Amino acid sequence: MPETSAAPLIAVRDLRVEFPGANASKEVLKRVSLTVQPGEILGLVGESGAGKTTLARSILGVPPTSGRIAAGEVIFEGRNILDLPEPELRKLRGSRLSIVVPNPRAELNPTMTVGKQIAAMARIHLGVDRAQAARMALAMLSDVHIPDPQRRMNAYPHELSGGMAQRVVIAMALICNPAFIISDDATSGLDVTVQAQILSLLGGLAADHGSAMLFITRDIGIAAHFCDRVAVLYSGEIMELAPREELFLKPAHPYTLMLLAAFSHSPKLRDAWRVAETGARQIRDGGCSYANRCPLAQPVCSDGRPPFAEIRPGHFARCHFPVSHE
Amino acid sequence: MLAKLRLFARLALVRPRFAAGYVIVVVVTILAILAPVIAPFSPTEADSLSFLQPPSSAHVFGTDNVGMDIFSRAIYAPRIDLTIAILGTGLSALLGGSLGALVGYYSSGQGIRVWLSFALMRAADVLQAFPIFVFAIALVASLGQSIQTVVLAIAFVNAPIYLRLMRSQVLSIRSMRYVEASQVNGLSDFQTIIRHVIPNAMGPVLAQLSINVGWGIVLTAALSFIGAGVRAPTPEWGSMIAMGFQNVVTGQWWPSMFPGTMLAVTVFGFSLIGASIEVLADPAKRRLLLTDVRLRDIARAAKTAKRASLGQG
Amino acid sequence: MRVLTYLAHRLLFVIPQLFGIILVSFLLVKSVPGDPAVLMLGPTATPAAIASLRKVLGLDQPLYVQFFIYVKNLLHGNLGTSWQTTRPVLDDLIQRFPATLELVTLSLLVAIVVGVTLGLYAATRPNGWIARFADLYGLSVGALPDFWFALVLIFVFYTMLGWAPAPLGRLDMIIIPPPSVTGALTIDTLLAGDLQAFGSGLSHLALPVLTLGLLNAGPILKMTQSTMEKMLESDFSRYEVLCGVPERLVTRHALRNALPSIVTIISVLYGFLIGGAVLVEIVFSWGGAGQYAVQGVLNSDIYPVLGFVLFSAIFSLIVYIVVDLIYVLLDPRISN
Repeated sequence: MPETSAAPLIAVRDLRVEFPGANASKEVLKRVSLTVQPGEILGLVGESGAGKTTLARSILGVPPTSGRIAAGEVIFEGRNILDLPEPELRKLRGSRLSIVVPNPRAELNPTMTVGKQIAAMARIHLGVDRAQAARMALAMLSDVHIPDPQRRMNAYPHELSGGMAQRVVIAMALICNPAFIISDDATSGLDVTVQAQILSLLGGLAADHGSAMLFITRDIGIAAHFCDRVAVLYSGEIMELAPREELFLKPAHPYTLMLLAAFSHSPKLRDAWRVAETGARQIRDGGCSYANRCPLAQPVCSDGRPPFAEIRPGHFARCHFPVSHE
Repeated sequence: MLAKLRLFARLALVRPRFAAGYVIVVVVTILAILAPVIAPFSPTEADSLSFLQPPSSAHVFGTDNVGMDIFSRAIYAPRIDLTIAILGTGLSALLGGSLGALVGYYSSGQGIRVWLSFALMRAADVLQAFPIFVFAIALVASLGQSIQTVVLAIAFVNAPIYLRLMRSQVLSIRSMRYVEASQVNGLSDFQTIIRHVIPNAMGPVLAQLSINVGWGIVLTAALSFIGAGVRAPTPEWGSMIAMGFQNVVTGQWWPSMFPGTMLAVTVFGFSLIGASIEVLADPAKRRLLLTDVRLRDIARAAKTAKRASLGQG
Repeated sequence: MRVLTYLAHRLLFVIPQLFGIILVSFLLVKSVPGDPAVLMLGPTATPAAIASLRKVLGLDQPLYVQFFIYVKNLLHGNLGTSWQTTRPVLDDLIQRFPATLELVTLSLLVAIVVGVTLGLYAATRPNGWIARFADLYGLSVGALPDFWFALVLIFVFYTMLGWAPAPLGRLDMIIIPPPSVTGALTIDTLLAGDLQAFGSGLSHLALPVLTLGLLNAGPILKMTQSTMEKMLESDFSRYEVLCGVPERLVTRHALRNALPSIVTIISVLYGFLIGGAVLVEIVFSWGGAGQYAVQGVLNSDIYPVLGFVLFSAIFSLIVYIVVDLIYVLLDPRISN
């Protein structure tokens, strides 16, 4: 996969994840490849069901329940971590590779105080003693700007609001200073003002710690403002990958255009770029997976899977007829 | 219909333990039915000259301390035990179940019905707080020691279980939309219950029934063991165990062990059947079982195909 | 403070429950045939003697008056007298109940150790042979008759191997029992410093405890296994895996969350076993309270039965209240 010349921090290659279905397995991720450079924020945009959470968790080797990693590699620090035995992988997770999960109150342990859960990360991965871990947890809670951190240390997850719980989960992801953070839909379900706070918090902390981030979201507008590069995921495939300005100003894939039009705040842009979507959602083998919804589809789109082509330097699109902006 | 039965049979048998359960119960039932034909000796006549004989070719299970042939008695015994247990359990399910359904249905609303439901539930609480065994003995003692009273004792002891089961079934189904829909369609309360509650409750109730029959056998045997159930010389596993009890301590194990083992195996068989019904009744678990069946079919087909191709090549 | 109000609340509910239990037991036991006066005086008694004894016992009064008198006596701590032992039932029970309690408590401990351990193993290694064995073991719940299993153990360990003592009570015949402090032999012998008696008591406890413990581990095993499976598949367990928490810790945290359900089944079992140990008591001539009650029923001696029912009901209720308090400690979501 042709990318920038510097060595990527983490490279996902041809990842295939399937789930058991009624008759045959359903491929939720179809040969997904991407790379993240050190210190960069790569955005991943997709609608519900596109496979975002599956991708996020499969990169760490833990696909969602009943999912199976059928093929592919995740190269990190020189080795394919998917080949590692589970205990080795656990040493990496949380310490070098961490994840910020959505819906945090459901994911935190209901019978442990949040302070203990944050401290546990430090104790497990950094080997510090209990007192030191507690201090680190308290410091982390301040870093994520939780009001009254000392009291919150002894709170249980159900006593926290959504925004506070999200900050706790961020604290847990960052306390061990990971090289790579996956933020899976970390701001959905939060109030808009809280969203903005969390976003700036994440960005600032990542920059402070020098971590790279895979920022997964449903909102292409946020991705375009927050990330260095953005990838668009549809039906388990990366449809487009481009630097931020490129994507925002010269989107190539029809699906990206649809996303941008739907989220655009300017009615003129919406009208200009609105493309009527046609057809029902069907899962098709062979051909472009967006073909049945694409208003620009031609007969050849149903026959051959379009290659992931570099249409401009650093700008890739999986489309037979990418939109030109000349 | 036949296809459904076939599928049911395949599902039930795909796990060896389920198959074992059905086999055990079927075998014991056959033995009980055919006992008069198979038994080499009369179950109540004693040959006082040959008491406490170890197992031999003449007496397959040996003889007990008054000279009765243990094998004959042991295969006659399930007639009593099974009958009592099935009757008692069936009665408890009917009694408890119908009361429970009514309680569930009238647990909200107005008037005296709600009050009665509440009182009935509290009565069930009190009943279940009783030490079961003492309660059963007291019932049998107060009503007179006979087969019928043992049946009644089993019925009473188990009724609260079905009461709660049916009540919770009714409550959970009541709140579901399609029941509301049928009521809108003009069905009466009673018809609603019949049409919706019963099919849904079938699974858990059947599983519970199977396990309860096993318990019923144990309770009958236990009552007879202490002399408060079926009277001697009627062959019954519990009383046989009691008769041979002292002999075990002195080393003659066969008067107690044979009936005891048969008792344990039979009850275990009912337990296995109950477990199999539990799995079959739960759609999620049934799906898993179905997957196993399919995988097995695929593996078998692959094997046959491989064999065929090897034969050709 | 909140704990006290909660306790007061619960106790309020306990009283009508207890009343109901006493009432039903009374009616039940009163319907057992057999005239206690006749049984006490024997077959040679004259009708006049029987009549006067009946008057003394209050048996000539209508039923509700008898019940009223019984309850009034209860409130004064008088549980009636057993005509078999000719002693107050309260004294008899105080002597026998600890024997049952000791047996049941130790058996429950065995059941917990076996059930929780196997259940944990089965939940964390669902494809291993332990899981398969645990499934079968769980199926023996309530299935295997305890008096038969006790007999098997006696045959194997006493008759054949000679390892266990004869099933004749709690102590060897030649040993003098220690002064009774708690009624539990294991404690009393240690308190008296009598190690020989302690050893004898333990060896006599071995088989009955093994019987009850192994047979009742089933429900605990099943509950542990199913609850742990649910916990290990829950969101928070998966999140811990995503955070790189090692397997042992994940299991421990899941167990912590599974405790309420496991504690529930243990408490239910505890209450059940007080009356459910009767058959084992009989087989081993234990001299426990359950055996006492059964003898009461079989001999139309009603006060022991009523007293036993009362004792075991109160015991169950205490256990349930203690368990509810434990819940409040275990689950931080409840206290709000």
